[in-house]
Amino acid sequence: MTVPNPRELAVCTCPLVDSEMGRQATVVAIACGDHDACRLRAMGVYEGATVSVIGKRHCLLVDVRGTRLALGAALAEGITVRPQERAAH
Amino acid sequence: MTATAGPDRLTDLEPLRVAIVGNPNTGKTTLFNALTGLRQRVGNFAGVTVERVEGRYKMADGRRVAVLDLPGSYSLSAGSPDEHVALEVLLGRDEAHWRPQVVLLVVDASHLERNLFLASQVCELGVPVVIALNQIDAATDRGIQIDVPALIHEIGVPIVPTIASRGEGVDAVKQAILIAASLPAPKRRFTLPADTVAALAPLQTLIEGDGFSPSAAAMEALRLLSVTRGEAHLARVNALAEHLESTRDALRALGIAPQQVEAEARYAWIVGVLDHTVIRRAQQLSTRSDHLDAVALHRVGGPVLFLVVMALVFQAVFSWATPFQDVISAFIARAGGMIGGWLPAGDLRSLVVDGIFAGVGSVLVFLPQIAFLFGLIGVLEQSGYMARAAFLMDRVMRRVGLHGKSFIPMLSGYACAVPGIMATRTIEDPKDRLATIMVVPLMSCSARLPVYTLLIGGFVPAIPLLPGLDLQGATMLAMYLLGTVTALIVAALFRSTLLRGPVRPMILELPPYRWPSVRSLGVSVWQRCQIFLRRAGTVILSLSIVLWALATFPHASPDATLPEAERQEAQLAYSALGRFGHAIEPIVRPLGYDWKIGVSIVASFAAREVFVSTMGTIYGVGADDDAALQDRLRVERDASGALVYTPLIAVGLMVFYVYALMCVSTIAVTVREAGGGRIGWRWAAIQFGYMLALAYGAAWLVIVVGRALGFAG
Repeated sequence: MTVPNPRELAVCTCPLVDSEMGRQATVVAIACGDHDACRLRAMGVYEGATVSVIGKRHCLLVDVRGTRLALGAALAEGITVRPQERAAH
Repeated sequence: MTATAGPDRLTDLEPLRVAIVGNPNTGKTTLFNALTGLRQRVGNFAGVTVERVEGRYKMADGRRVAVLDLPGSYSLSAGSPDEHVALEVLLGRDEAHWRPQVVLLVVDASHLERNLFLASQVCELGVPVVIALNQIDAATDRGIQIDVPALIHEIGVPIVPTIASRGEGVDAVKQAILIAASLPAPKRRFTLPADTVAALAPLQTLIEGDGFSPSAAAMEALRLLSVTRGEAHLARVNALAEHLESTRDALRALGIAPQQVEAEARYAWIVGVLDHTVIRRAQQLSTRSDHLDAVALHRVGGPVLFLVVMALVFQAVFSWATPFQDVISAFIARAGGMIGGWLPAGDLRSLVVDGIFAGVGSVLVFLPQIAFLFGLIGVLEQSGYMARAAFLMDRVMRRVGLHGKSFIPMLSGYACAVPGIMATRTIEDPKDRLATIMVVPLMSCSARLPVYTLLIGGFVPAIPLLPGLDLQGATMLAMYLLGTVTALIVAALFRSTLLRGPVRPMILELPPYRWPSVRSLGVSVWQRCQIFLRRAGTVILSLSIVLWALATFPHASPDATLPEAERQEAQLAYSALGRFGHAIEPIVRPLGYDWKIGVSIVASFAAREVFVSTMGTIYGVGADDDAALQDRLRVERDASGALVYTPLIAVGLMVFYVYALMCVSTIAVTVREAGGGRIGWRWAAIQFGYMLALAYGAAWLVIVVGRALGFAG
């Protein structure tokens, strides 16, 4: 078990685009157009979902509970996440 | 189940109506194919061109079941026309009033969290539900263990684990459907906070007033909170938009974000359900799929692999299909000859041999190509590679204002624009969709192939250029490239003028790689072939007869002194078709064509394939004998003794065929897909007009530039 680093916890939120690769993060807000937001929620990206960025290209490759999604950069800009503390197990 | 109805009575009953619904990539269609086999009928949903596939099967006791395969949807909040159809059918609100008695919901066992979102909506429709927990083997491989009895307890509907690709669990699904038909419909399994319920109540009552069951109305009210577009099936609900807005305001006043209410409530329930029912081993960080993706989505390797795959598809469609095509054309020629032999010489024999057999036969030879193309597209789709291709192509497509998903319709366009245009229905944004529809017919379809083959074989020498590529092959490739590049340019033009608007950001699921199911592929290919054959038997058959009549009547008085070939030519010149050709000769003259080419072009406006058979008719050579026709064309001279066909003319003619929209079926599909009615016709007219202008302009340019460079023409 790693002890949570208080400095890391202090890093509050950031857009999904800037999320660290491979690190799990919790979605806190989805500020895309209503239509895209509705779609994202249906595909498992909802407020409270755990996601992690696994690739950055012209789109973002995101893991959502084992599903791989390609999200356009503009969308990933509108999704705000809070990085989770590193899982030790 | 009641035991009052004996087997004899069961067979007399109306078939039980079952609708299959599920997320994309859950193996939904594979399960549908496994349930019904070849007993399927393809049509369209009334009023829209979303494809409607209905199949049937019979239980051991004789009870018949009709199954409708609904388009894949992530949720009932319709994004694309496809998904909206699914919603309307499930609510019993589609135009045909085909209301399912049981809903078979296909759920991907590896991605329960996301799949249960749709499941929780479907369970509130007021219709009994059966869940097929599909691809259970893949879930086990990934270390996901599901406690099925506990899941049944949580959701309250029968659940059957299946592996549709191997046919496992299919019989159990059939049993469960029969049992479910007499079970009560499931109910909402979670409760909303009291203040939310109160805020939603007026909206729910309003929707109930339009004939919805209380359960379905509650589902609709909750769902609509996050839906911003009007939905056709609710158009009759009085002042819905105002009520919806005041409900949202009421929620906002409570400090609740209305568009999040549904997702929050459903996912909170789902997370609770999964806690009780799923045991997940420490999550594997990278799966086999990820290893494959490391190559398939690699910055350099990805595009290279993509090009190799595309080259393979082309190779397969254009060379592997050849032997089958030869068999078909030989068979048709023999059958035509045989039947012609039984008939007395005269108009009837001419109609059968030159009209029907030559006309329909020249189209039937494409059957193997269609089968190969759709088989391969099926392999790419089922294996999961198609989504990767769309991902890779998104970069290119975005530059011209299209979506990565536009790539699939354009690829299908190489076989035929009709399925290509129909495939655009997965594109959600209407402008993206229209722009794609507008350019799909620029992709060289298989109907242009015989025109290219005839002209290249006749007028382009086989000078070797590179190992494996000669000038003939290069010319063919150039025609395909010309169409493709032009399609991209035209799309960019549309997106910056008539269809200006922001490009929708990409949201695309990259499903895990899978082995395609041979059985399911077979069923889909057979389906495509049936559609093609039906077209050959209707549109092409009637056109062939009309063309034959136009070229045959009125009869010229035969001059017995003339040799056979000249007599035929005199007859053609005298016929309705010939007179028309002479009338339009001034129009095609600038392109370097004589009236006979003009006639062939006009005749092929209904269907391009007709060009070759018309040339065959005009020059009195059998349509399936390319070599004889090519020899004939090479020596054809005009009145002044100059050659009619030169390589330059041939190239100009091919360019004309690259661009011109000569296909009645494409026009019909564009009208329907672009919105139907006046709007549809307007877009179809724009499409036809710009393509004709492009064809004429480009063919003229080829001749003018070619002549200036000193080529004969």
